[in-house]
Amino acid sequence: MFSLESGSGFWNPILWVLIFFIAFLLFYGIRGFGKSTYKKDTDQTKAFLSGNQEPSAEVMHVKASNLYWGFTTSMKTVYTELRKMHTGNASDYVLWFVIILACLFLIMGVM
Amino acid sequence: MDVLGLSELLVRIILGTLGLATFGIIFGLFYKGIDRKLSAHMQGRIGPPFRQPFRDVAKLFTKENIIPDHAIPWIFNLIPLIGLIATISILLYLPLGGFPPLFASGGDLIVILYLLIIPSLALVIGGFSSGSPYAIIGAQREMATMIAYEFPLAVLIITVAWNLLQKGITNVFLFSTIAAAPVWNQVAGPLGFIGFAILLVVLLLVTPAELSKIPFDSPEAETELAGGLLVEYSGRNLAMYYLTDGVKTVVMASIIVALFFPYNLSAFIGLGSYTGIIIDVLFYLLKVFLVILFSVTLIRVAIARLKIDQIVYTYWIPLTLASLVGLILVMWDQTMVQWFS
Repeated sequence: MFSLESGSGFWNPILWVLIFFIAFLLFYGIRGFGKSTYKKDTDQTKAFLSGNQEPSAEVMHVKASNLYWGFTTSMKTVYTELRKMHTGNASDYVLWFVIILACLFLIMGVM
Repeated sequence: MDVLGLSELLVRIILGTLGLATFGIIFGLFYKGIDRKLSAHMQGRIGPPFRQPFRDVAKLFTKENIIPDHAIPWIFNLIPLIGLIATISILLYLPLGGFPPLFASGGDLIVILYLLIIPSLALVIGGFSSGSPYAIIGAQREMATMIAYEFPLAVLIITVAWNLLQKGITNVFLFSTIAAAPVWNQVAGPLGFIGFAILLVVLLLVTPAELSKIPFDSPEAETELAGGLLVEYSGRNLAMYYLTDGVKTVVMASIIVALFFPYNLSAFIGLGSYTGIIIDVLFYLLKVFLVILFSVTLIRVAIARLKIDQIVYTYWIPLTLASLVGLILVMWDQTMVQWFS
């Protein structure tokens, strides 16, 4: 009942929601046994910065672009090559499209 | 569904959730204790006692639950709980201890792959909601790691399913199907065996990243980010993440066991009834231990932490290529045997 089927896979979201709800009640109760208090408006609630003075929120902001650093650095060679290929000339892009399509047909033909 | 059927389903969900949550937490913490003890011995230390993780959780429940000034309190408090619950819900879809999944009809392997993302996302959201630069950098690294390891993991799952489909088997993403036709039994020649062995190694190397363990623990990186995305967490909220880590270890090991080693001892030695069940449960626990030993303990003792760009490179280049080679070898397996026979 209420199963979503894709032809090769399936999922029953209602069942998962029920499991989630019951587990939530259980662990919310267990979590309630833990201490909930702390000393508000003390040094305890300041962000830990290895003992350094906490600067303003604007200065502390970490840019979202930082996320891509791992990718751009590790794939530097690929990005450099891609940048060279990115000429801005439409006929170059069509040429790449034809080459890739030819490769795909070749692979599909062999398989 | 009639009232009787619905009430029976509810009782199964309640008892199943209670039972498997207890199982996941107890064995998750126990395996964590074994891991810490073994890694300590490998490094020439005595290490903490096996029961130390249980003491850690008990201690965290008595500590203050500090909410930082710049945090978003409701997300900061709620998200560790969501991560733990999502991880426990996966246990209900997994074959454990030689038994089929409790809710096999509730979802398949693809659902589990999606559910596995929730605990990692909970870490990311928790880090971002902390309002700490260390935690935000840790959360960004966790996101990058997630994107990196999903590719080889997807290739691996597709290979296992595709291979079963080629043999004319239906419902290939069901664990009961995979258990009835283990990958090693589907191998026709040496190429298939090598292909699946490569894919097993890839999965063993994806596991430490899923669990944020060395060498893929740069999102936490104690010596560099002072705990990264968990730096501002304390008390009962940190206890929730601690429990999530333990349960997720059991979940990941159980997935590897279900995909690559779904064998039971009772069938081999002809044992039935309760003795057979006990032997199968013990054998499953041993398999889980061996998987944790090879994919977590040995790796984290032997290798130093990788930088985030090295993590991305490791998953996107060598491991993705390895999984694609595994896929190609499995594809050629049957063809090669036909050519040479």
